[in-house]
Amino acid sequence: MSEANFKLNRRSFLQAGAVGTMLSAGYSANAFAQSETPHLSDYQPEYFTADEWKFIVAATDRLIPAEGDGPGALDAHVPIFIDRQMAGDFGNAADWYMEGPHDPDAPAELGYQSPLTPAEAYRAGIAELNALCQTEHGAVFAELDKQTKDAVLAALDAGEIKLSSTQGADLFDLLLQNTKEGYFADPMYGGNHEMAAWNHIGFPGARASFREWVGVEKPYPLGPVDISGKRG
Amino acid sequence: MNKFAKLVAALLVLGIVVLALIIFVPASRTAPVSSLPANFKAAEGHGEYVMRLADCKACHTAEGGKPFAGGRAIESPFGTIWSTNITPDPKNGIGGYSLDDFRAALYDGIEPDGTHLYPAMPYENYRNLKEEDVRALYDYFMNEVAPVSEAAPETDLAFPFNQRWGIRLWNWLALGDAGHPDLYDDAVLNRGAYLIDGVGHCAACHSPRNTIFAQAGETAEDSDYLAGGVIGNWPAPSLYGKGSAPEKWSANDLAAYLSTGRNSHSAVAGEMTQVVGESLQYASDEDMHAMVTYLRHINGKTTGGPDQMTNLATDAGNDADNSIAAASSKRADLSGETVQLLASADPAMPLGARLYLDNCNACHFVNGKGAHGVFPALDGNALVVSDTAGGLIDVILHGARMPSTDKRPERLAMPGFGDRLSDEELAELATFVRQGWSNDASAVTADDVAELRAAGFAH
Repeated sequence: MSEANFKLNRRSFLQAGAVGTMLSAGYSANAFAQSETPHLSDYQPEYFTADEWKFIVAATDRLIPAEGDGPGALDAHVPIFIDRQMAGDFGNAADWYMEGPHDPDAPAELGYQSPLTPAEAYRAGIAELNALCQTEHGAVFAELDKQTKDAVLAALDAGEIKLSSTQGADLFDLLLQNTKEGYFADPMYGGNHEMAAWNHIGFPGARASFREWVGVEKPYPLGPVDISGKRG
Repeated sequence: MNKFAKLVAALLVLGIVVLALIIFVPASRTAPVSSLPANFKAAEGHGEYVMRLADCKACHTAEGGKPFAGGRAIESPFGTIWSTNITPDPKNGIGGYSLDDFRAALYDGIEPDGTHLYPAMPYENYRNLKEEDVRALYDYFMNEVAPVSEAAPETDLAFPFNQRWGIRLWNWLALGDAGHPDLYDDAVLNRGAYLIDGVGHCAACHSPRNTIFAQAGETAEDSDYLAGGVIGNWPAPSLYGKGSAPEKWSANDLAAYLSTGRNSHSAVAGEMTQVVGESLQYASDEDMHAMVTYLRHINGKTTGGPDQMTNLATDAGNDADNSIAAASSKRADLSGETVQLLASADPAMPLGARLYLDNCNACHFVNGKGAHGVFPALDGNALVVSDTAGGLIDVILHGARMPSTDKRPERLAMPGFGDRLSDEELAELATFVRQGWSNDASAVTADDVAELRAAGFAH
């Protein structure tokens, strides 16, 4: 009976098969909202120290600000996603080739070149950037005003601020990439709180079949569903 | 002593004597139904073939255990019955069995020392075996199976079911004549009936049980024959009468279901998964044709020759209209109340319909017809609409996986939704599919789901 003895769980099933259909469509109210995730302010970081956490909260808040169109990074709990990500396989480069040589000047297609894991790169980079802000602006990044925060991030993005401690890892690129991931990933990973980002863009989530709506010239009306089955 | 007391004492003594006779006088064993020459030898491979069709291995092999060494738990209404070691090991297996001993186990459910087997061993059905097949099976087990000197766990039922002598009384009531009568003037029908009733022991699950838990119908002469049964929480659907699969499906679809576990309407789940994977897929084309022809015949359908049923891997379900290509070309066909409700994606729809869209629609589609050979149809599906909703609930909770067969090797699977749906949600969803499209079955309650969730995964 070994053949019949199995249990598939939904997550591995989804991972095994590509389920990716994105439809630009309408946005419906939270008819069945039932989420009970702790609020951002109650969250105890798994990886980041208190100072690093303040930086992550402040920086993601500037990358996707709350006063824009749609939920901000903090509404969507993006910092929680990044903290869990750094505590997990991605942060620890668990399945990357991390032996040398590391060549910071190598072409991009040769991949990640820092000897530091992403989690280590965040740790080193945040410390160096905070020290730099202290010297230049008299306070760590999280305590600067919005305009100065934006200027620091813009300079980091443009390469005008170069961090040597990350040893070839680009802190800004990591931060922007992980912020987007935390904004749009399934809520099971800590971000996209109550499917706020999906609701905003009208992405219907893990439903995967819209055959009747192909070629229909009106917005898809039904709100999203996440991998755990919650309805947004 | 007065007269009355004398009478009571006499009856008591008589009762004790009868009981003693029942317990201590050896049960008689059924003789061979035909005599074969002593040097009879079955064709090469025939013993293994009969073993496959009789599906001995499925019950007599533990999960991950050595073949035929027993130790698989068979759940019965009376407790757990452990299957026995039937390898030719002289101590722990059946190595010491003579041919007559072996036949007595198959026909009468009696071990050489007179111990009665529990009727979890379908000797009610194996009694129908021809002597040629008994001999072939015996030779196979004695000469082709590797002995395993491990004792299978002892079955230990609670009183009174541990009093095995009681089975003797049951046997008197439950067992008919040995052998299988040829009821037809047609060799194909007779062969099909023999395979269905005897070797294949279909009635063990697909006939209801009567008040003494005997099969209510063992052959086509019995009224409840193949009228559907219940195994644990699962339904074994009716194979007889209006709306049953042999009555509704084409010969090709029926053959495809039995030999590959899938067709244009449905896919196997539960116990039938291993029946197809370990037994029916090994049936020869002729025998599959005979079984299909017979099952259709008793439902008033005629079937062409075997040459019309040869390309099961590619042709199965060509007569159906629910292939993916056909469905795509008819995308505009959104008639029907259930279809329209689902296609509307209206946020105000009832919870059951919303859950169907969120969880089921990607594969089973708004028309509930699935896709042939891949996704079972839910509209009209026997498991979905059965009075026994346990099978449906179990599949939603834990998923299901098709067997791998020679003709269709892919073990296509449905994931379990037990961790995605609460008991209440699953009940709403199950009720929706039981009442959607043309389905008209009873509602499922959250308590039904909670009970099966607590019972855990059994298949």
